[in-house]
Amino acid sequence: MSTIELHGLTKAFGDLTAVKSIDLTVAAGEVVCLLGPSGCGKTTTLRMIAGLEQETEGEIRIGGTRVNRLTPAERNVAMVFQFYALYPTLTVRENLAYPLHADRLDAGAIEGHVRRVSGLLHLDAVLNQRPGQLAEGEKQRVAVGRAIVRDPNCFLFDEPLSRLDVQLREEMRSQIKEVLEGLNKATVIVTHDQLEALTMADRIAVMRHGVIEQCASPHDIFAKPANLFVAGFIGTPQMNLLPAVLIGSDDCGVRQGTVTSSARFRIGEGTITLAVDPAVGRLAPESSVTLGIRPRGLELVAEPQADSLAARIDLIEPMGAETLLHLVDGSLEFRIVVDRRTEARVGERVNLRFRPGQTHVFDGSEQRVAS
Amino acid sequence: MAARVVSRNVRQARPGWAALATIVSLIYFFPVLWIILTAFKTYNDALAVPPEWLFTPTLENFFSVFSRAMTYQGAAVDTGFDLFFFNSIFIAMTSVAVALVIGTAAAYGFSRYPLKGNDTYLFIILTTRMLPPIVVIIPIFIMFREVGLSGTYLGVILLYTAFNLPFTIWMMKSFFDELSREVEDAARMDGSSEAKVFFKICLPQVIPGLAATAVFGLILTWNEYLFALLLTGVETRTVPVAMGQTIGGAIGVRWGLLAAIETLFLIPVVSVTFLLQNQLLRGVTFGTVKR
Amino acid sequence: MAVAASGVRTRGGFLALSWSNWPLALVAALIVIALAVWLLPGTVAFWVSLAAAAVVAFTAVAFAYGRRNNGALLVAPAVALLVVMNIFPLLWSLGLSFFRYKANSIQPPAWLGIANFATVLTSADVWDRLRTTGLIMILTVSCQLVVGFLLALLFEKQFRGRRVLLMLVLTPMMLSYVAVGAFFRYYYEPTFGLLSQFVRIFTGEPFLLLNTPWGARAGIVFADAWMWSPFVMLLVLAGLVSVPSYLYEAAEIDRASWWRKFRTITFPYIRGLLLLALLFRTIEAFKLFDVVFLLNEGGPGTSNETIALYIYRQSFQYNKTSYSTALAYIMLFVVVVLTNLYLYAVNRRAREAA
Repeated sequence: MSTIELHGLTKAFGDLTAVKSIDLTVAAGEVVCLLGPSGCGKTTTLRMIAGLEQETEGEIRIGGTRVNRLTPAERNVAMVFQFYALYPTLTVRENLAYPLHADRLDAGAIEGHVRRVSGLLHLDAVLNQRPGQLAEGEKQRVAVGRAIVRDPNCFLFDEPLSRLDVQLREEMRSQIKEVLEGLNKATVIVTHDQLEALTMADRIAVMRHGVIEQCASPHDIFAKPANLFVAGFIGTPQMNLLPAVLIGSDDCGVRQGTVTSSARFRIGEGTITLAVDPAVGRLAPESSVTLGIRPRGLELVAEPQADSLAARIDLIEPMGAETLLHLVDGSLEFRIVVDRRTEARVGERVNLRFRPGQTHVFDGSEQRVAS
Repeated sequence: MAARVVSRNVRQARPGWAALATIVSLIYFFPVLWIILTAFKTYNDALAVPPEWLFTPTLENFFSVFSRAMTYQGAAVDTGFDLFFFNSIFIAMTSVAVALVIGTAAAYGFSRYPLKGNDTYLFIILTTRMLPPIVVIIPIFIMFREVGLSGTYLGVILLYTAFNLPFTIWMMKSFFDELSREVEDAARMDGSSEAKVFFKICLPQVIPGLAATAVFGLILTWNEYLFALLLTGVETRTVPVAMGQTIGGAIGVRWGLLAAIETLFLIPVVSVTFLLQNQLLRGVTFGTVKR
Repeated sequence: MAVAASGVRTRGGFLALSWSNWPLALVAALIVIALAVWLLPGTVAFWVSLAAAAVVAFTAVAFAYGRRNNGALLVAPAVALLVVMNIFPLLWSLGLSFFRYKANSIQPPAWLGIANFATVLTSADVWDRLRTTGLIMILTVSCQLVVGFLLALLFEKQFRGRRVLLMLVLTPMMLSYVAVGAFFRYYYEPTFGLLSQFVRIFTGEPFLLLNTPWGARAGIVFADAWMWSPFVMLLVLAGLVSVPSYLYEAAEIDRASWWRKFRTITFPYIRGLLLLALLFRTIEAFKLFDVVFLLNEGGPGTSNETIALYIYRQSFQYNKTSYSTALAYIMLFVVVVLTNLYLYAVNRRAREAA
């Protein structure tokens, strides 16, 4: 049974607590991404699972067994390092075969495994070369190959794609995903690239300052961010986060099958009325909130409306099929993504309408208000 | 990362390791320790059979080193070691300093203005360090005598400087090679003269190299015996030569005195090495190992 | 000579009279020096030769830097000093070895051609000393490599007091040879020496070491290896410390045994440095003088007289100056050959790895 469980895992380096009592469970065959900015503790967590760092407090279970006291070798985990950590004096074939020596297989069996992995990752051409002679992408594949050539309890990836250029990254993303699906082992991937996380993970654990801010499926992370940090971290271009004050919320209504409330906010110089989650009704009037709406959740309209705001175009960024507009109104800044054919000029005043049901409301403690 | 990671040393060694290392180190250090202990013994204690482990320490040997009241066959004789210590320190420091100056300049020249066959020239320079001293000792001896440099400070300093040069050039060149040119180019574009680029930008970055070279040069010249024996005069004699003469006496070796001299002689070189321990590692590998 | 073989072309061809025509200057200088030594009285010959050497140095530097004055200015002082102190005496020695010259006689040197070299190479004494030197060399260098390596393993990991203990182990290198020679003689002394007293605990008899050839050999090797193993340790330690930690981490994850980790990760990193240590210590062992001289003067008798000590005696005690210079030159030749072999091996390995 290949699972990973973390209970109250903590790691302190002297005065600095890098990981603060996190709990996480990874089921067999599930891919969990630890996502977050640098310094959030994700790599430290991964290394603790591997046994390369000693935890300060807490428990780690792999396959149900408590492994706190076991060395990395005894835990039988496989890891792909950020810097690949390929053995420079060995050929690719010997690198791939390296982990198998501990299983005491005969040469034929070892060769068989090596061939299997090499075929899977298209490494047949470079089997006799040394890491120093390989291209970046090939090195990465060898590192992955070395991990999957054996039958470990789980897989750990430390920023596997961070050293590849954009094109290679796309290729390897899908390849790794394919490979992992076939293997059915608990997998933890550490990354700071949200695109990687969104595409490869079954669940994403967004981390900040040693704490898991939210652990949910990619869809939920995107559509239902638990707090301001997650909302701002996930999604490119970044979500608009606008400070506002709740004036009042009115009766519930039903809109497109979802129960919503209509709430009025004071924002910038004006006010806006939006359909939001009914839980907003629990907030006291005059409470400070933050409104979150993604750049694609706004649209340009000709006339001002109850659920629109006016702003002046400040910067135009063509993005190919779409265009990103930066707008300013007083102290408020907006980002909106429009079709590339939309006409826009810098300095032009336009109306931004908040598409219905797309607005998130975050309360004073940065939590999303939701029922 | 707050934890201290020293390359390979991800984890501390096993708990018993410090004890093992201590035992081995002390055994290895024992002959040196004995010399230091002997420095504090009287003549009889030093030769005692079985060896005296607990003895009353005396400082008389240390006083003898510098005092002029030592007797030799009944006559008062200058030990003169204050002069010899001064000579050793002066000669070593000067030759290391001079070698550093002209060697670093040459290294910069080799690094920034490379020639075709640069490697060959550097190799030749390196081989001069590998010369058996015997090969050059006779001509140098004659040369010094002819030119009147025999027994002078200048002569010995020139020679030791020449000894230190190959190593200095190699070390400093490897340091200069590693510097990023971009910063220098930026400074040049800002209008700095070549001299300013060298002094303000390159030089500060290679200070570890200077330290390592200085330590090695010091160790090399400090204990040098053969050339000092032949090329220093009465006034310019260095400590090793003087020590050698202390041994050859009709009264037999004054072990305590010798030990005291050596103990004192060790202090400067050990202190410098201890302070610059980290640089030493780099220096020993001729800068060939990247940290 | 290696310099001439670098294939540089001078402006205007070989015979052009210009300040940067160093090959011409070199050849001319050699001729001038040979003639001077042969024909002119000592002092004058000396100054003439020195002038010739200076001209060669100057032309070499001028050639090398041509239009780029900066480089020349930087390099010239060092080159000049090296030429005067090293190259010139070398050439002088070489010249000297073709004559019969005795430093204490007032007779002018007599041309012998290669007779000196012939005498040297056929002398039984010389071969005997070479054998002795070789023997001591092999023994001491092997000891140094083994002990140095073990010490490096000891100091590889971080532990409390490492800095201080490392310092203790480095002190033997910093002792003066005189002190080492004298005190090890003291340690080996049969009546009050520490070694003898230690052995006497078991055998009850005083232990004599330095009075037999092999005993003295053991004494020399022990003292020399003790002094210089820390040097090997430093080299190996530098290599051990430079291994990236993530390689060891990967090997731990891959469940490699200790031996496997050593063979595939550690050893390749230190191999180059071990070779470097081997080269340096071998050359130093070949030149071995101080310890041998100061411990026992190459005794008993001349059984442990190393080649360097032999040359020294021939020169300064027997005044057979040119004979000993010829021999010294042969020694130099060996050293250069060894160094070239090493560099060849290193380059080949570097090319393989690339």
